[in-house]
Amino acid sequence: MAGLPEGARLARHDAAVFALRGQRDAAVAAVRDWEALRERAAAIKAHALDHLDLLLERFEEKARGAGAFLHWAQDGEAMNAIVAELLAARGAKRVVKSKSMLTEEAGLNRYLHARGAEVVDTDLGERIVQLGEERPSHIIVPAIHRSRGEVGALFQRTLGTPPGMDNPEQLARAARRDLRARFLAADAGITGANFAIAETGSIVVVTNEGNADLGMSLPELHIACFGIEKVIPALADLGVFLRLLARSATGQPLSAYTSMVTGPRAGGELHLVLVDNGRSELLADPVQRGALACIRCGACLNTCPVFRRAGGHAYGPGAPGPIGAVLAPALGGRNARNGRGPRGGRNARSGSGRAQNFAASLPLASSLCGSCSAVCPVRIDLHGQLLAWRSARRSGGAVERVMLRAAAGLMLRPRLLAFAGRVLRRLWRPLGWRIPGNPAAPWLQSRELPPHPGASFRESWQRETR
Amino acid sequence: MSGRESILARLRRGARRTAAHPGEHPAPQLAAGFAPFAEALRAAGGAHHGPLPQNKLAAKVREIAARRAPQGRVLAEPSAAALLGPGPWETPAPDAAGHGFEDAAITIALGQVGCAENAAVLVTGRDAPHRALLFLCRHLLLLLPLRAIAGDFHSALAALPLNALAHHHCTWICGPSKTADIEQTLVQGAHGPLSLDVIAIAPGGESGAQ
Repeated sequence: MAGLPEGARLARHDAAVFALRGQRDAAVAAVRDWEALRERAAAIKAHALDHLDLLLERFEEKARGAGAFLHWAQDGEAMNAIVAELLAARGAKRVVKSKSMLTEEAGLNRYLHARGAEVVDTDLGERIVQLGEERPSHIIVPAIHRSRGEVGALFQRTLGTPPGMDNPEQLARAARRDLRARFLAADAGITGANFAIAETGSIVVVTNEGNADLGMSLPELHIACFGIEKVIPALADLGVFLRLLARSATGQPLSAYTSMVTGPRAGGELHLVLVDNGRSELLADPVQRGALACIRCGACLNTCPVFRRAGGHAYGPGAPGPIGAVLAPALGGRNARNGRGPRGGRNARSGSGRAQNFAASLPLASSLCGSCSAVCPVRIDLHGQLLAWRSARRSGGAVERVMLRAAAGLMLRPRLLAFAGRVLRRLWRPLGWRIPGNPAAPWLQSRELPPHPGASFRESWQRETR
Repeated sequence: MSGRESILARLRRGARRTAAHPGEHPAPQLAAGFAPFAEALRAAGGAHHGPLPQNKLAAKVREIAARRAPQGRVLAEPSAAALLGPGPWETPAPDAAGHGFEDAAITIALGQVGCAENAAVLVTGRDAPHRALLFLCRHLLLLLPLRAIAGDFHSALAALPLNALAHHHCTWICGPSKTADIEQTLVQGAHGPLSLDVIAIAPGGESGAQ
């Protein structure tokens, strides 16, 4: 895609993301019982996590009673295999999928593509990033990092829209036309679920576009994949979470479509895939289990000064922002873990060392300002959990240990530090931070460092006070 | 051990059984009625009409249909058609597949519960058995009994009709389909209806609606 200048891109991203925070604030101010709602939501989630096994068994019984098929997946790979098998058994090749962080987490699209299925993401933002062959950069607005001009150029190349068309309404109409045909031709629809209600065996799917609803209504086969932590006890609890969710996400009192689906539609099949992928182990961690209360509203992203400037791609393949930085060392860590969780949680997992180190490093990318915790609708102590991950983090290996020792040595020798600073400032641009194996490389793939000021603070101070 | 048993076994190890359920959230006593509902609906991008007695509904529907989609195909789900009586709308056969409605200009359905806090209207599977119709049409028109509008969302959920969940879906609809995925510019009609009209039915005028 044609790119904006880096500074303009950063400023646009920052403003767009913080505008969502502003919309959230305005919506929250109009709800008198907001804090009581947050408290209630946190208490319901605490109860649900403490009784997750019982609630899941109840959900399973009720959902089966309503005619749904239940599947349990230990990890993302197992989930992918279950979905692929369901599709293959019915000869389903054309799949429409609505937004699901879990399927991103597990790489479902790639898995199904490799087995001959065509998976089309149908949320407009997800479709943009799919056509652009990149990852979502935000939980609720996946293409927020792209300008209208970039989307126009992408649609011209992939959907055949006229050159120069960058009007969002015209672009959205072009996507609607293209996707409508795909909905009508689809053999199967895959969705996530925002909530699963143990009392009724229903799943709840929330969208603004109606894409998930078309995916659930047109093909005969509906597969819903969701994490086991999505279960809530009762229908009455749903009111608490729905009053919080859209307001926290976009400032709407409720999203356009909230669908409670119980059992299959007439003539259809409903398959519910309950996915663990590290969640049951996270539940055993006394500190980090709180992250399982997340309802994926994205509020912590929109308020985070690091996310707003760094962008979602800097967080790697899992969820971005503060919640992503909390979950990555544990859940994303099916690809990337770093040995142990805080307070001895049993988090050992296989995965490449580089990916493990990257996931374990994400909690370091935080100012610990606490804004994420302040806006979280279910009161997750996000900055406390980031701090706990930092405390639990083992050294990143021999290179990091040597570098930290070298840094400590420099800090203790002011003259040597000043000399090293002068050398580094000269090498800053030539090196360009494109050093092979540089641990900062993932952050810098989508960001450029600002120009160096040319003098250290000490030198500037001496010059100013001379 | 199966995947199910392994997962449940791990969950049992992590289950602390300490946090009690806090009970239901007390309803915040928000104003019910059509005025706050209409205000919230406008904010959500929808349009409101009425309240009208049942014998005036068909004329209003014709008027809206003529404005939104003159000469377009208008479909009324069975319970809405029963309320409206005969008119220029067709009622889909019970076993009709969603794919036959891709040219639907307007869908008319009956809502069972409304919520003034967020302008949501609940459409159940009983009242919209052809679920795809709610999303394939270019314009959606919902009929909503005035007395079914609750003030807050907790009360609205509590007002769900008996067996509402027994008909595959219950869908809360709050304004037309929308997206702001391209530079946060709001566009109505991302995938589903480009517009939503809600006609309130005056008390006493919805006999047969339930």
